[in-house]
Amino acid sequence: MTATTILVTGGGGVGKTTLSAGLALAAARSGNRTLVLTVDPAKRLATALGLEGLGSEPTPLVEGLSGAMLDAAHSWNEIAKRYAPPDVGSRLTSNPFFEAATQHFPASQSFAAAEEMTIHIDSGIWDVIVVDTPPSGGGIEFFTSPARMRSLIGGRLLKWLTGGSLPGRRLFYQFTARPALRIADAALGSELLEAVADFLIDLRAAYDGIARRSREIERHLAASRRVVVTTADPAPISEATKFFELENGTPDLVLFNRVLPDDWYGAVTDAPAPFAENLSRWGMESRRQAEARHGFSSRWHVDPATIPWQPHAPNDPESLLEMIDSADGLDLGVLLG
Amino acid sequence: MLHKRLLIVTGKGGVGKSALVAALALRAALDGKRVLAMAMTEDSGLAVHLGMERLTYRPRPIRSGLDAMVIERPAALNEYLEVQIGIPKIAQLGPAARAFDALASTAPGIREVITIGKVLYEARKGTWDLIVADGPPTGQIVSHLKAPTTVAHLVGAGRVLDQTGWMIRLLRDQAATGLVVVTMPEELPVTETLESLDTISSDSLISIEPIVINRTLDPLEGALNRLRKGPAKQAALLHRALYEEQQRWISQLPPGPHIPYLFGLHTPPEVSARIADLWRPS
Repeated sequence: MTATTILVTGGGGVGKTTLSAGLALAAARSGNRTLVLTVDPAKRLATALGLEGLGSEPTPLVEGLSGAMLDAAHSWNEIAKRYAPPDVGSRLTSNPFFEAATQHFPASQSFAAAEEMTIHIDSGIWDVIVVDTPPSGGGIEFFTSPARMRSLIGGRLLKWLTGGSLPGRRLFYQFTARPALRIADAALGSELLEAVADFLIDLRAAYDGIARRSREIERHLAASRRVVVTTADPAPISEATKFFELENGTPDLVLFNRVLPDDWYGAVTDAPAPFAENLSRWGMESRRQAEARHGFSSRWHVDPATIPWQPHAPNDPESLLEMIDSADGLDLGVLLG
Repeated sequence: MLHKRLLIVTGKGGVGKSALVAALALRAALDGKRVLAMAMTEDSGLAVHLGMERLTYRPRPIRSGLDAMVIERPAALNEYLEVQIGIPKIAQLGPAARAFDALASTAPGIREVITIGKVLYEARKGTWDLIVADGPPTGQIVSHLKAPTTVAHLVGAGRVLDQTGWMIRLLRDQAATGLVVVTMPEELPVTETLESLDTISSDSLISIEPIVINRTLDPLEGALNRLRKGPAKQAALLHRALYEEQQRWISQLPPGPHIPYLFGLHTPPEVSARIADLWRPS
């Protein structure tokens, strides 16, 4: 059977990792064999879930829930071994530029994370997989990474540079590429250039494997449920907006995090001065939040769920679940069913 | 810190990096300096915080005394090749420059050298009294600051090497250049800040300005237990809990300027204007 995949996306600092953990716990509580894939949990959250020292292999955390870390450097090694022709794969990973280059590819981290996710989906042992997506590129990269990876490795540029049909090394210095190589040679020195050229030629040879795989990843991404997490602050909202402008599917759920009660605005109190003044400041903030939320909802025709601002950051499975249960308008059935 | 010629601002995503860059640039411009605000990454929030739809590679005036630009990849590469490496424009036409880009991006440090090199180049030209750069997030700042050194070690010869010396010197010039780290009093931003500060100071890559702590709450005085149940009490409880949590993280950071939590502001330009206003000389 296929796992239900829930992708938790959104800008930096909005609470994606905490909410991913909470959603995963809630899914496990309803009897699903659940896996949470996370990027960089805060130490306290890691301790709360027993995530410390977690590797890329799923490890049981609490009843029904396992966790694993998404590790891009490790994944690229695996990708090279799995999808490049055998001799090319080992040459690629032993190239001195391998790590630096794969870290520098546009959308490289996201592609590696999406690949890891796909492996876990295909394993068939999970009912639900919750993915805390990497924050790079505002999280949007996760969805565009397969296509970007194809256009990078299969692009005209690399083809032209390395000769059309994956030749041996000598063709690298083909005639049309010479002016470019002369520039590079003068600028970088020729030793470096040769090492880089070797690398690019090998990378081209891995194209077919990576392209095929990237299409499978795209299918999984398209079939997944998408949650966008945001706060009512301007920067996260503008990040959240981008997920509605994607071509291959729109969010299934918008979660506003750190929400203040509506009734704080305009509330009158006979409390002593510092408290009355404090209430009026938070009341103003509460109204600003409500306006931002309504603006977003009417623009994208969504009915966001809201999570109250937690005075104390959740630091164990119980408080994570309490946070999810305190949400208003959050129907887990929609995500899991 | 506005006495320097170049300030590079970094911080974890979401802590208010672009807002601070816009505010510092505004403040300096209001104080009569000629200022350039630079976005070092194309996904920077600097444009919105300056109230602009988008920025261009060519600096454009935002208001009196303040110009802004974004380092766009192809344009930055072309300028680097032409001005710093001395390769005439004609050789860059067509795929040649893009090919160089592909080759250069594969080798560690060269991509970063082009970005940081542009920032340093603007600072060296002397057109501006102050440059405020919206840098890469903390996770990538070290590789940018180290890039000229990395490249100098990697590239044994060639013109790229010749250009690294002045970059390293200008980065280390304490009188001219400073790194501003902005953070928020929460676990992840503070941890990440302390980690990157360690690396940067142990390698003495650049002089570090006092850490800016964003969105700090003032203490809320008064006895809570006399309050009746209701919004005032709820708001006070939330405020106190957040305040205590913040203090816990602030105590781990070296002392530095605080930017208070700004209540009830709607748009990014409002935020940066308010911060600039808070720093008005008295």
